[in-house]
Amino acid sequence: MDTLDLTLDHPLRSFRLSVAATLGRETLALVGPSGAGKSSVLRAIAGLLRPERGRVALGAEAWLDTEAGIDLPPERRSVGLVFQEYALFPHLDVRRNVAFGGRGRVDELLERFRISHLAQARPADLSGGERQRVALARALARDPAVLLLDEPLSALDAHTRAVVRAELAELLAELRLPTLLVTHDFEDAAALADRVGVIVGGRILQLGAAAELLAAPADAFVASFTGANLLHGTARPGPEGLTEVVLDAGGSMYSVDEGHGRVGLAVFPWEVALARAESADSAVNHVRGEVRSLVELGNRVRVRVGPLTAEITTASAERLALREGEDVVASFKATASRLVPLG
Amino acid sequence: MRSPFGVVLALATALALSFLLLPILAIFVDIPPGQLVDGMNDPAAIDALLVTLKTTLIANAVILLVGTPAAYLIGSHSFRAKPFLVTAVELPLVLPPAVAGIGLLAAFGRFGLLGETLDVLGISIPFTQLAVVFAVMFVAGPFYLRAAISAFESVDPTLTGAARTLGAGPARTFARVALPLASGGLGAGWALCFARGLGEFGATIMFAGSLQGVTQTLSLAVYEQFDVDFDVALAIGAELVVISAFLLLAVKLVPKWTRSTSPSTTPFAPFGSR
Amino acid sequence: MRRGLAVAAVLGVAVALLAGFTTTRADGPATVYAAASLTEVLPNVSPSSRFQFAGSNQLALQISRGAPADVFVSASPVYTQGLFRDGVVEKPRTFATNSLVLAVPRSNPAEIRSVFDLAKRPKLKLVVAGQKVPIGLYTREVLKRLALLKVLRKSVSQEPDVKGIVGKLALGEADAGFVYATDVRAASRRLIAIPLPKRSRPTVRYQVAVVKGAQNREAALELVADLLSTDGRRELRKAGFGVP
Repeated sequence: MDTLDLTLDHPLRSFRLSVAATLGRETLALVGPSGAGKSSVLRAIAGLLRPERGRVALGAEAWLDTEAGIDLPPERRSVGLVFQEYALFPHLDVRRNVAFGGRGRVDELLERFRISHLAQARPADLSGGERQRVALARALARDPAVLLLDEPLSALDAHTRAVVRAELAELLAELRLPTLLVTHDFEDAAALADRVGVIVGGRILQLGAAAELLAAPADAFVASFTGANLLHGTARPGPEGLTEVVLDAGGSMYSVDEGHGRVGLAVFPWEVALARAESADSAVNHVRGEVRSLVELGNRVRVRVGPLTAEITTASAERLALREGEDVVASFKATASRLVPLG
Repeated sequence: MRSPFGVVLALATALALSFLLLPILAIFVDIPPGQLVDGMNDPAAIDALLVTLKTTLIANAVILLVGTPAAYLIGSHSFRAKPFLVTAVELPLVLPPAVAGIGLLAAFGRFGLLGETLDVLGISIPFTQLAVVFAVMFVAGPFYLRAAISAFESVDPTLTGAARTLGAGPARTFARVALPLASGGLGAGWALCFARGLGEFGATIMFAGSLQGVTQTLSLAVYEQFDVDFDVALAIGAELVVISAFLLLAVKLVPKWTRSTSPSTTPFAPFGSR
Repeated sequence: MRRGLAVAAVLGVAVALLAGFTTTRADGPATVYAAASLTEVLPNVSPSSRFQFAGSNQLALQISRGAPADVFVSASPVYTQGLFRDGVVEKPRTFATNSLVLAVPRSNPAEIRSVFDLAKRPKLKLVVAGQKVPIGLYTREVLKRLALLKVLRKSVSQEPDVKGIVGKLALGEADAGFVYATDVRAASRRLIAIPLPKRSRPTVRYQVAVVKGAQNREAALELVADLLSTDGRRELRKAGFGVP
């Protein structure tokens, strides 16, 4: 079994990219804001970028080793890279695009990605989803040992995304290749990858299964990245062993987590409940606020109440007859909140 | 679309087209076709045609074969000295043709920089057909080179990068991706280069002189025939027009070259094709 | 409304400019079409005139096709007489003569010492002018008189005017060529003149003629007068021309 070993150290425009990871037959997603250096990692592995220092090796074969003076050109590295905008050759039809990587498996791949009927079409005539399939087929035509995906879903519209995400997850599970996937959307990462690494400012802040990152974010970045509400405040010991966080915006919240000094209180939207009035429930944290916005997402609704975003079922939202501008109470448990250090 | 602006557009187009086409059409209308054909059969005209075909073919072949890879190298990299390099390549364009001729003599003439070396090798360039080829290459080459550099610069580096990750080495990437994608710009640049070469006069007469059957190209022959036999001059002019039109049109119609999606390189693409 | 006025104003200016460019003012300086060998001397004779120098044969053709010349100065009577016969110019006047010499570059790469050496050098680079250019006519006359016409086979270029020949010799690229004595004077440091045998020397006569219907007739007549005046003749003699 070939593992991909990766160590990179390279100056980018405003920070230094410094990452290290090892991949087996799994999918690792690098998530982070744009400009965090994610694409540079992929380019370095593919051989399109020569880092100042680094080592990229597949098993025993070193593709890049700056210390040993090894730097194989891209065509000698067994990679399949799917670019963010797919980079399909505009002057070739679909068949020839796919065949560019390797002629042997063209028909098979066209079949598998359900694009046989598009074989004679030009990239310009295809939809976003179709182009992505061609890009994947083309990358796989080369029978690569490592698969690299650069923001595979970001060029797609919301509806296509959901469908493609599911298909892609299936494909990756089937292929079982060391796959490095880069995205700015945590949910996509969680859906597609076995492990997720949050990368900010050129460094990996936390690397682990998606559930781990959700349950125990290492710091504020990771927390907000995974979609949590983050309230800034100062922590001090509170009543009954809880930690009291005096919020910058005013008021206090409580958490079972330990914390001192400047902290971020993180709570996920789906752990925030809404009611018309404050009730005597077990939740310790209540916030009264105005409904600022309501966004429907299928069978759920994201409601912004004051500084918090809550996610409740559409049915519940209807039952509460929520309207913008109305007062509601948002509440969550102290056990549902996490404290992360603020840098 | 009867807006005043639409009328202005139509008027401007009519003016431009008629102004450009009138002198050309006049050449063919000025004398009866029979005399035109007789003129073309004049020995001076035939000799000039042969000299031109031979020298233009060789010059353009060299320009394409040497210029294309050079333009690819320059166009696909960025380096600090690039603006200076590209300017250097463009310099011959701003030289008056006679000065270009003097430059060629200063380099390759009997007393030029390479004169003695060439002499030792038994090679003498001025007054030969090779000199005509040199003059055409020097004067017209930069047109192609400049356009080619620009064409390769506009090839999306992501595409060439993609080709490399798909297993294509630098040579295959050039041939299968960069070249086809740049071909529109290359073709347009070459058309200009070819036209300039065909009309080349000043540098040729300075460096190669003008001798019927040896160095007298169609352009030089027209000039001489003005005083000898005006009908022959017209016939040669007509020949020049026909040859140029044929080649310029051919470049646009060759099917493979026009099939890229970049709007600026597809000659017949409608404005809103993307 | 304002936009319409602006457009009208722009068009008006454009038309005025065009008119300015195309109409030549009457009674301004003379436009003189003159033989190339007079390039250096004529501006000294008549500083205010505007000159165009080229082979006399070419100039004659242009004038016969309506070029806006006021005066035609030719290096051979053939062309002025031709135009006179066709009624294009008024009666020509001879105002100067010139002599032909064999010129070689200062370095004399072919080691020419007399015109007969031309036949003796196998790899000679001879530069001549076309048959219809005056210097070309005279060259062939000379060679015919010396029975050396076969030397023409050694020409490597047929220049459109005498200055083209001078240029090639001055740059050292050609071995020999026939030019006017005045040209050698003008390029004195770069050319050596080899005099021709007396019996072979052709008569080179320069003629001037006013073009019929000239725009600047006054200035044209003045130029003719200048050429025939004492001052004019002195300038011509200074430049090496003969004055009858």
